[in-house]
Amino acid sequence: MRSSTSNSERPNSERLTAADRPGEAQPVPERPVPDRPFGRILLAAAAIAAVLIGGWEWHWRSLGVAPDYRDDEALWAIQRRRIDQGEGDATVLIGASRTFFDVQLPVWEKIAGRRPIQLSLDGTSPLGIVEDLADDPRFTGRLLIGIAPDIFFTGFEFEDGRPRFTHQESPSQRVGKWLSMHTIEPAFAFYDGDFALFTVLRRQSWPDRPGRPRMLHVRRIQLVEADRNSYMWDRVETDAAYRDLVRRTWAQNFDPKPTDPKELAEIARTRDEQIDRMTRAIAKLRARGVFVVFVREMSAGDYLKFEKETFPREETWDALLAKTGAPGIFYADYPQLSNFDLPDWSHMSKSSAERYTAELVDLLRQKYPQAGSW
Amino acid sequence: MVFNTLTFAGFFLCVLLVHSLPLPWTFRKVNLLLASYVFYSAWNPPFVVLLWISTVVDWYAAQGLVRSERPAARHAWMLLSVVANLGMLLYFKYGNFLLANLTAAVNAAGLDYHPPKMDIVLPVGISFYTFATMSYTLDVYLRRAEPARNFLDYALFVTFFPHLVAGPIMRPTELVPQFEKPRRATARMLAFGLGLMTLGLFNKVVLADTLLSGAVERVFDAKSAPGMLDAWVGTLAFSSQIFCDFAGYSTTAIGAAMCLGFAMPDNFRFPYAAVGFSDFWRRWHITLSSWLRDYLYIPLGGNRHGAARTYAALMTTMLLGGLWHGANWTFVAWGGLHGSYLAGERVLRKRFHGYRPSPWALVGLGLLTYLLVDVTWVFFRAKDFPRAWHMLTGMAGGNSAAKPLLETPFIVITAAVVLGLLTVHWAMRRRTLESVVARTPAVVLGGAWSLMLFLIVISQGTGNAFIYFQF
Repeated sequence: MRSSTSNSERPNSERLTAADRPGEAQPVPERPVPDRPFGRILLAAAAIAAVLIGGWEWHWRSLGVAPDYRDDEALWAIQRRRIDQGEGDATVLIGASRTFFDVQLPVWEKIAGRRPIQLSLDGTSPLGIVEDLADDPRFTGRLLIGIAPDIFFTGFEFEDGRPRFTHQESPSQRVGKWLSMHTIEPAFAFYDGDFALFTVLRRQSWPDRPGRPRMLHVRRIQLVEADRNSYMWDRVETDAAYRDLVRRTWAQNFDPKPTDPKELAEIARTRDEQIDRMTRAIAKLRARGVFVVFVREMSAGDYLKFEKETFPREETWDALLAKTGAPGIFYADYPQLSNFDLPDWSHMSKSSAERYTAELVDLLRQKYPQAGSW
Repeated sequence: MVFNTLTFAGFFLCVLLVHSLPLPWTFRKVNLLLASYVFYSAWNPPFVVLLWISTVVDWYAAQGLVRSERPAARHAWMLLSVVANLGMLLYFKYGNFLLANLTAAVNAAGLDYHPPKMDIVLPVGISFYTFATMSYTLDVYLRRAEPARNFLDYALFVTFFPHLVAGPIMRPTELVPQFEKPRRATARMLAFGLGLMTLGLFNKVVLADTLLSGAVERVFDAKSAPGMLDAWVGTLAFSSQIFCDFAGYSTTAIGAAMCLGFAMPDNFRFPYAAVGFSDFWRRWHITLSSWLRDYLYIPLGGNRHGAARTYAALMTTMLLGGLWHGANWTFVAWGGLHGSYLAGERVLRKRFHGYRPSPWALVGLGLLTYLLVDVTWVFFRAKDFPRAWHMLTGMAGGNSAAKPLLETPFIVITAAVVLGLLTVHWAMRRRTLESVVARTPAVVLGGAWSLMLFLIVISQGTGNAFIYFQF
């Protein structure tokens, strides 16, 4: 290999390329290696980078962050595949973040003897997943569908496309997730979307652009385990300022109910469409013996006030049960499901979630013994 | 497999280890060939069959070309290669597009025709490896190159994983001779190769994916029309994103090949420092532009048959070059604009023959080139023509009532990256990376390298595919 200069370079150091040789057979390219002590440079660069990365890790750990698993589409796919790999008769949990936070898999397993499959997704309507399961004859178990009114009845999907990803995931993506789960994720606390470079830069105190004030973005509020058991990060419970930040983040979406008839008609159309699609999917599931139950988890504070105003129970929950014909558990109807600590008005603290799960499993077993082994 | 993933890191480490063992050269080449098939099939295993078809057809076509003396027979062997490769490309890349256009044309003629949707999956890298294999038969046909001495060397030329799915588009004469003798990287080559890979991944993961993609998506994928500031920021962000993404891929590929002891050609030469469009195309995606020049523009007559034929050849080449990028008329428009620019520049060069710009005029012409290239990127990125017109109208100040789309950090970060990139390109206009590295103190190199590594790690890239994978 030649050193920094060669006769294939112009005097001003611009190297000849195929662009300079029209209509010719292109020769073997020249790739000069500059005459620098690259071995020592590489070692020094690796050492400095290790120190910088260590400092970054220390910074986040000093704020109370602990490593957990990244709840990406590949982690979801691992759980979804369990249904296709011999666990089709399992209990499957779907819903938005409330079902994700509030149902604790170890508690459920302790009571029911079997760990459910957690397929809930933060900020995402479960409808797409129900439809995916309805089309999969291998699923014959029990389905618990958590309903968060502002997510389901608006058809909001923050994380759409997970079923599609699962069906199309490449071998390379599977191996990558396996490697990540066995090296990076359990070791590094900074490996979390909330601490990624751009997210951190974006959070700095930039001046607002006129007409485009900055929105608060959802911060880290949960920890996720390898099988997607998830629970609230204790900082939301213990740090009042952080808790307030999370509440303000939710409150950005607490718009008053519109009064414009056109807007109201559009809201009603969307709601009815979601219910209709759910009805069709559930009919398919029930036709092959899947037991389906809806669960409306607890909310509190301004969140509950917003939900009551904008998504009245009779127009949403009651209509859903009536149309689908599936049973449902509305937390307010059961005192044992209605008295828990929701630091951010929407999700339970870990200890509350553990108690709630125990109550919920007991209730399911009492009310629906025909569903089989929960 | 994508370079910016843990899977690739593990794969590359294994390949490098086996390649470094004191084993016979043939065994190490077989290792590289098998590894390249693993690299390709890690995305979608069945499509490796297409790669084999392309490989085998061109091998036999070249053998046929060597054996044949009669021009008609040589022509037939050459056509076999071209038809097989372009046929695969047409079906997999343009099948849906052709059917949609045929349907639209038939319906426009008054016939009610609605064929079932074909839902063809585009095999990754097909545009790249079909061009590479075609160049093999075409070079043999044009008597520019001898065919490879053995099938293993040839198959490895087609499949060699650093260039397989997104280039640089290699010619047989560039790579096949390198497989004839044992090659292993020296320690300096290995370290410099790793340095190039770090630089490439920094471009992709930090600049393209982390700092620029957000602004691009918020503007180009918005439901509303952008105002002037948003339209320009989105377009400038995309111009830098596409460069950092693609040049990042090429640099990583060149570095990976160097770690294994092989040399791959430059694919970019600081294109945003170009003065004029012919200069731009000597700096941007060099291996594609030179491929199109050698196998399309020159066979179409090039500049040897008068002005009209030259402009026709130029425009045909650029329109097809646009279509090569994707099955959408917006890419054709992109190619058409570049063809018009090149034609316009040709006219101006004749009119102002002998003009030597002053240093400031050179800067001005460079900026004008950059801005006009930016206009073409609108068609490249926009999903359809209505969105492209929205963008262009916004850039021209025509969407005065538009609501702001981008928050302050997107604007500031984009501005910083774009300015930084333009400065680097201009400073490097007549230099190579190697010549600058050779003069830079080791402390500075070590610091820059460590900073790039650190930023790559904390960016937490999620293995986004390179933009050119879709082409």
